[in-house]
Amino acid sequence: MPGLKDIDKIKAQALAAIASASTQDDLNNISIKYLGRKGVITSILKSLKDLPIEQRKSVGAAANKIKVEIDQEIKSALNKFKISRVKAGIDPTLPGIARRLGAIHPITQVIDDMCRSFHGMGFAIERGPEVETDYYNFEALNFPPDHPARDMQDTFYVEGNDLVLRTHTTPVQARVLEKCKLPVKVITPGKTYRNEEISTRSYCVFHQVDGFLVDEGVTMADLKGVLVAFCRDFFGEGMSLRFRPSYFPFTEPSVEVDISCFLCRGKGCQLCKYSGWLEILGAGMIDPNVLKMADIDSEKYTGYAFGIGVERIAMLKYGINDIRLFYENDIRFIRQFI
Amino acid sequence: MQVPYSWIKELADIPWSAEELAERLTLSGAEAEVEELFEAGFENVCVGHIIELEPVEGSDHLKKAVVDSGDEHLQVICGAPNAAKGQKIVLAKVGATLKEGFKIKKAKLRGVESYGMICSEMELGMSEDHSGIIVLEDDAEIGKPALDYFGLDDPVIKLDLTPNRPDMLSAIGVARDSACLAGTKLKRPEFKLEESAEKASDYINISIDDPDACPRYAARIIRNIKIGPSPWWIKRKLLLCGIRPISNIVDITNLVMMEYGHPLHAFDYDLFKNKEILVRRAHEGEKFTTLDSKEHELDPRVLLITDGEKGVAAAGVMGGLDTEVTEKTRNILLESAYFDSITIRKSRQKLGMTSESSIRFEKGADPNVVPAAIDRAAYLMQKYAGGEVLSGIVDCYPKRMDPIRITLRPERVNSFLGTEISKDRIVKILTDLEYGVEDKGTLEVLAPTHAPDVTREVDLIEEIIRIEGYDSIPFVERNSGPLVAVTRKDDELRSEIRRVMTSQGFDEAYSSGLADTDLLAKVMGNGQPQLKILNPIAEDLSVMQSSVIYSLLKSVSHNISRRNVNLCLFELGRGFLPGDPPQENEQLGLIITGASDSDWFTKPRNFNFYDLKGAIDVLVTGCRNPVPEFKYADRIPYMNGMSFDLKFEDRPAAGHAGMIDPEIAKAFDIKQPVFAALLDFETMLNMRNDDIQFRNLPRFPASPKDMAIVVDDDIQAGDIMKEIIKAGGKLLEEVKLFDLYRGKQVPEGKKSLAFAMVYRSDKGSLKSKEVIKLHSNIAEHLKKCFNAEIRES
Repeated sequence: MPGLKDIDKIKAQALAAIASASTQDDLNNISIKYLGRKGVITSILKSLKDLPIEQRKSVGAAANKIKVEIDQEIKSALNKFKISRVKAGIDPTLPGIARRLGAIHPITQVIDDMCRSFHGMGFAIERGPEVETDYYNFEALNFPPDHPARDMQDTFYVEGNDLVLRTHTTPVQARVLEKCKLPVKVITPGKTYRNEEISTRSYCVFHQVDGFLVDEGVTMADLKGVLVAFCRDFFGEGMSLRFRPSYFPFTEPSVEVDISCFLCRGKGCQLCKYSGWLEILGAGMIDPNVLKMADIDSEKYTGYAFGIGVERIAMLKYGINDIRLFYENDIRFIRQFI
Repeated sequence: MQVPYSWIKELADIPWSAEELAERLTLSGAEAEVEELFEAGFENVCVGHIIELEPVEGSDHLKKAVVDSGDEHLQVICGAPNAAKGQKIVLAKVGATLKEGFKIKKAKLRGVESYGMICSEMELGMSEDHSGIIVLEDDAEIGKPALDYFGLDDPVIKLDLTPNRPDMLSAIGVARDSACLAGTKLKRPEFKLEESAEKASDYINISIDDPDACPRYAARIIRNIKIGPSPWWIKRKLLLCGIRPISNIVDITNLVMMEYGHPLHAFDYDLFKNKEILVRRAHEGEKFTTLDSKEHELDPRVLLITDGEKGVAAAGVMGGLDTEVTEKTRNILLESAYFDSITIRKSRQKLGMTSESSIRFEKGADPNVVPAAIDRAAYLMQKYAGGEVLSGIVDCYPKRMDPIRITLRPERVNSFLGTEISKDRIVKILTDLEYGVEDKGTLEVLAPTHAPDVTREVDLIEEIIRIEGYDSIPFVERNSGPLVAVTRKDDELRSEIRRVMTSQGFDEAYSSGLADTDLLAKVMGNGQPQLKILNPIAEDLSVMQSSVIYSLLKSVSHNISRRNVNLCLFELGRGFLPGDPPQENEQLGLIITGASDSDWFTKPRNFNFYDLKGAIDVLVTGCRNPVPEFKYADRIPYMNGMSFDLKFEDRPAAGHAGMIDPEIAKAFDIKQPVFAALLDFETMLNMRNDDIQFRNLPRFPASPKDMAIVVDDDIQAGDIMKEIIKAGGKLLEEVKLFDLYRGKQVPEGKKSLAFAMVYRSDKGSLKSKEVIKLHSNIAEHLKKCFNAEIRES
């Protein structure tokens, strides 16, 4: 049977529980536990009849007293809760205080995505000079002097000894082939220059990610394989791919590669000019002349090469309609790509 | 290059519509599109019938016509002298938009209303002739759309050809590929030329000075021709090929060029001084006037066709004015020659002109189609200009060019492409493309001279696969070559830089790297070397930038002009300097201007030099570089006293930083303070610590203690810190400047600095006595070094 001591103990426990309550629910539970119909104090009061008469009075009085005290404590604690929220003054809908993140330029993002994809397939990254010799930019890539193919690339010439601003990053291929150990598998991201009228569709500068592989027994089917793998990784599953014959002096045969339009899934829309296809890159089997120029036996070794225009892909991917935006660095443009 | 679909159908049996043909040509190597060339200019243009015609009062030449347009009678004013009652004519009704955007509207002439126009050839874009209206055949159906009547509703195949496909610069060439794709035979035009008894060789003698430049020159003499308009079928073909008809003789040379792909030229034979052709290099300074009345001063780059004395044509580019075929021409010398492509390229560059002829020679014509083309033209001239063709071609062919023999291994075709194309199929494709093929186990192939770019086995492989279709190449998923690539340190650093800078709120910029020479001189200093572009696109893009500060200033300028005035930008780019070879070094540029971000809690604050310095501190830490010292320097483009070199120990400066000289900023239209820095990428790469080693965590507690001192204002905080570290020795773990004060509490010309020191030993807990001793040692040292007054310690 509970005595007066027990009642003191119960009071102490209840007050401690109230003090450590951190939510209103906690307090409600405490109220039920001590004061509820089946609560600790209620049951003491109910069991008074079993006590000797002299104790009945004192224990009953004590229990009733703590019942009131605990009830008041709970009420005041509940009140505090309501007060403290107002006092702390937190409005969680106010913006947080933070430094704004800067944005990585979309060209970097697209180049990085491409490099990541090819790097995963074992392509090493190589870079080269942007001021390039005529030899590496043209001759070593099977553009003979005075060949009409040179007209395909509007070239900036630079003061010095037969120097140009590289018109593609393919000269890095010529440089690597000249001194590498075979097999070799490389991508060459970088900046290139073309002497073209500046407009919404063309700019004097653009970026390229070129790639190539030279090994024994490389076929055009390997080229298709690697490009399909890349396109699925980069543009998403379910892409189909089409080779269309083309011409580059450094590859034979040469192809343009189209993917099924990722906007309309090949049904035809404004982006793909209702053809269902988007031209995304040029590719081909490395011309034997290019291999010969690097002292590689073109009977034993074959290879493929491809080149992707970064801005073009970025424009397609993000729906950008003016290439000049990439180079104006208007922060309202760059920050869209955060 | 464009050719009407109907012409291809004449020459090849194909089962496809124009669109289907274009698709197949595109997928076999000639990008093709279909265009309805004349449709736009022929809307609301129909066959009309002049049912009444009377003069307009008060005009000497205007007539008022009533024209039956099929569904209504329209009153039309016409000024043509040849208009007559009863004629069938071409009527452009109100609403028509003729060539060059000429709109037909309701008009009033001499007070008489006009509801249309009776057209001449010029208004329909058919020729330059507007001497009179077109009079149609009597049986023309009134009200029929003129486009249908003329047969100009024919779709045109427009080809965008790559330089390796000169064989496609003709109707026959396109038909050859089309037939091959359809598996049918090419049908060449058939004709029978009748020659007169007299020999052409009695009338002309040909000699070639430079057979490398002109391996073949052939000519025919055609006498007693009658210059006049061409028959409609020739005009129609030319119009659809985008060539304006001129006269029968000129039209026929153009027609045959479009048909065979071989340029021809007709001279007025009677205007030759000597009855001979001499092909030679032009003399230095020799004068020559081309057909378009332009006078040229030549040099030996130009190959000249002469009559033994004077030039009559710039070989392969354009004929001369002096021997032009005119209405008076009676006798013709018809040229069919083959010129070397590089010669023509250099010649047309010197002359500054291109023509349909030069395009074909430059891309590579066919020396062995010379006789067929000249015969075809002679035949047509005989038929349509009444000419008498003298017997024989006078053919000078000093440098024979024969088909090239190439050995083709069918198994190589498949091992190169990854395909399984049968030998029979290979033979069929090549034969249909008019290659000679002999099966000797391997295939012995004769590459025809119409495909000058096919010289090797690999070129034949391309011919086979472009016809067979690239779809037949499977895609194999296998990883050949090296399986792994090592990530380069420089790429790691680039990503680190981008990560750290963007996390500090900097946006990444990209630039062309091309600069304006004067503006760049402002950034680099007058007289500093610049790498010049020899053929710049524009004056303000004529040199390569030597510092990315230049392009960052341009970006700031652009943003400010768009009212983006608070900027933190960085750019990883290259700087260029002339030299042999030119120098090219990668740089990281930072630039800040305007005010810091603000929000409801943080007040905006103008950026200052320490924001830049802080950004650099975080950058180098994030890139595992040591923190550089800022050494006073006097460097353009910074303001005096706000220019610093960034130094890692005793190495050459790793970069520089400061506030851009306001005068220089103004040259970029920037009127607010700009802080900029440049770091050499290579140095950052070399200084990068890529060998992180773990240190044990401290076992004993640290004892923090602050010290405030007052010193002369011109003493640098960094120097004081250095001395504190020196005096503190090993037990001083850290020192940090936490307050700087100038003002009332401190005498004029002085400043108060407060430092927080942390002392710690790795041997045991420091006793407070030891800490006090260390601290007062430092205080004494500062008194001695800087005459510092110790405020509290």
